[in-house]
Amino acid sequence: MLTMGVDIGSTACKCVILEDGTEIAAKAVVPLGTGTKGVNEVVEIALKLANVQRSELALVYVTGYGRFNFPEADGQRSELSCHAKGMKFMVPDVRTIVDIGGQDVKVLSLAPNGQMINFIMNDKCAAGTGRFLDVMAGILDKKTSELGDIDAKAKEVASISSTCTVFAESEVISKLSANVPLPDLVAGIHASVAKRVAGLVFRAGVVQKVAMSGGVALNKGVVRALEKEIHSEIIILDDCQIIGALGAALYAYHEIMKPKNKE
Amino acid sequence: MTEIVVGDQKTKIKKPLPKSRQMVNEQTAKAYADAWEAKRNHQPIGWSTAIFPQEICETFGVPILYPENNAASVSAKHMGEQYIEHAEGAMRYPINICSYARLNIGMADVLDDDKYVSDPKMPRPDFLLLANNSCTQLMKWYEALARNLNIPIFFVDCLFNYYEEEPSSHKVKYVRSQIENCIKDLEKFLGKKFDWDKFLEVQKISQQNRVLFNEIVELNSRIPAPMSGFDLFNYMAPLVICRGKASTTAIFEELKKEVLEHIKNNTSTFPGDEQYRVHWEGIACWPNLGFNLKTLKRYNVNAVMNGYVTAWDVAYEPGDLDGMAKAYQISSTNSLSTPTIMGKRVESMKHFGCDGMLCHVNRSCKLMTFHIHVGREMVEKELGVPIATFDGDQSDTRVFSEAQFETRLQGLVEIMKENKETKEGERD
Repeated sequence: MLTMGVDIGSTACKCVILEDGTEIAAKAVVPLGTGTKGVNEVVEIALKLANVQRSELALVYVTGYGRFNFPEADGQRSELSCHAKGMKFMVPDVRTIVDIGGQDVKVLSLAPNGQMINFIMNDKCAAGTGRFLDVMAGILDKKTSELGDIDAKAKEVASISSTCTVFAESEVISKLSANVPLPDLVAGIHASVAKRVAGLVFRAGVVQKVAMSGGVALNKGVVRALEKEIHSEIIILDDCQIIGALGAALYAYHEIMKPKNKE
Repeated sequence: MTEIVVGDQKTKIKKPLPKSRQMVNEQTAKAYADAWEAKRNHQPIGWSTAIFPQEICETFGVPILYPENNAASVSAKHMGEQYIEHAEGAMRYPINICSYARLNIGMADVLDDDKYVSDPKMPRPDFLLLANNSCTQLMKWYEALARNLNIPIFFVDCLFNYYEEEPSSHKVKYVRSQIENCIKDLEKFLGKKFDWDKFLEVQKISQQNRVLFNEIVELNSRIPAPMSGFDLFNYMAPLVICRGKASTTAIFEELKKEVLEHIKNNTSTFPGDEQYRVHWEGIACWPNLGFNLKTLKRYNVNAVMNGYVTAWDVAYEPGDLDGMAKAYQISSTNSLSTPTIMGKRVESMKHFGCDGMLCHVNRSCKLMTFHIHVGREMVEKELGVPIATFDGDQSDTRVFSEAQFETRLQGLVEIMKENKETKEGERD
């Protein structure tokens, strides 16, 4: 039995096709967010990879910022629950999840049985989110995906004191004109994100094991800076971007397996 | 709202308001009409902070209006932005201060400018009544009003209560002496003798009204609740603006009758199917009240109780001026330390059977936001219930995000659902 989970984020769409609630049959990420052709594209790619038709999917669940704009789905869940569900599947003894998405940051606390017991999210501000990194990469004329490798070459961490994206932008520009080395500047940007996110992690409480999901988890510089801030190792999966979609696919599977649906 | 079809036209017809709500609207209209009438007759009218000892001016028989209440009404009708823009623009006030203050200071500056239309509209005040028992910014706000309008302030300085629910005797003496002094100063300003017998009557009515309101709030502890918790925000108005009037007694008697009728018929004013009960922490997001209620309804969440409406539960024995001085220092939990506030919330959440808590991180109100992040941990520890926070503002429309509110509410509901299922599983 196949179920599908679609995570429509603000900057990327992710899709997972799950077989019998245990095996990932296909996964896809398209770097286009809600309101774009990204949703249909990611679904088509996943279907092609799994070599199945839409009609073969038993149930489709959607999550993410754009979850209300995907009428093809049979149900929707918040990205909070989906990230908890998806990460528990991948890292069974996870207790704290940090998800840095395109425009929000979530820290989820899980009980030993994997049930989400609480969550903390950022306030209405882009600092500390993926969007913050996109803006900074733009000023530095680099791709966001390059920032992690650039950071690895840093000799010092430049100080970026502003907690606001717009002010941080002008701070970075002034440091650029002061010839601060690019890697140090990038490391400073990552430290700024980490400090912001660490505040939320501390509010939720650092309970081992800690794992991170979302596209920003691919940035080794941010992960390094955050590990330093919260004094904890952070588990990063290769599939960190599809955790929400995986959670949605798992919810779809469990919905079908509920006793009332067995008849 | 009911949808009816006439020919090809679908028309939405609003349900008639219950009689008690109509009475509230009539009472508010009369309070404003009385103030305008006095103004036309060159009689003085005052503006007052929300928890000033209203018994004083009620006894003098001088019309009083309440800028905080007015700002809430104007914001709920989406008419507040014009004044906030004026305060931040031409008047140069910063965005960081309270939005009620920005709205009201802006409004006070354009009282005679017909370009600015809002409802309800307050006439120009001749004096200000200020008690700082609910907010520390009020003093600067009223100072600005007094300076800009060139009018006097009558001030009752209330004290903060660290780790004491009952203010100590020196605090009582301090506030009592100020109340007495205010009465003397107002006698001079208004040119009227204070009638202590009438004062006692007003105190009696005020007590009757707060007791009635408490009884009504208490009825919402029933499961399922007979009222949408947001109704409590609406019915606060009589307590704020007419706490010492017999018209408020009539409203609350009618409301109590209606609520008891709901209980008898197992009906509710909550428009959804109440599956979850939450405690709302903080002031309402007045401009987003409709969206909040609709979203709560969609997720079958009734915010049955909040930590705001009890602020007007100013309890004392009529005739006991010390008791009154004490009560005005503690009725708003804003004058109490965080463990005391959260202890009250824990008791309230237990009593009202709340499955979770929804906290408004109100950009305007530092005092009501400061305790939320530490306070939520206290509630979590005591009750083990999930808590969600969301960004908003009591009047400034730029802070609230519909998507953020819904995601956080949905996350909260999903945890509450799992908690319920786990409990049910344990019972089976």
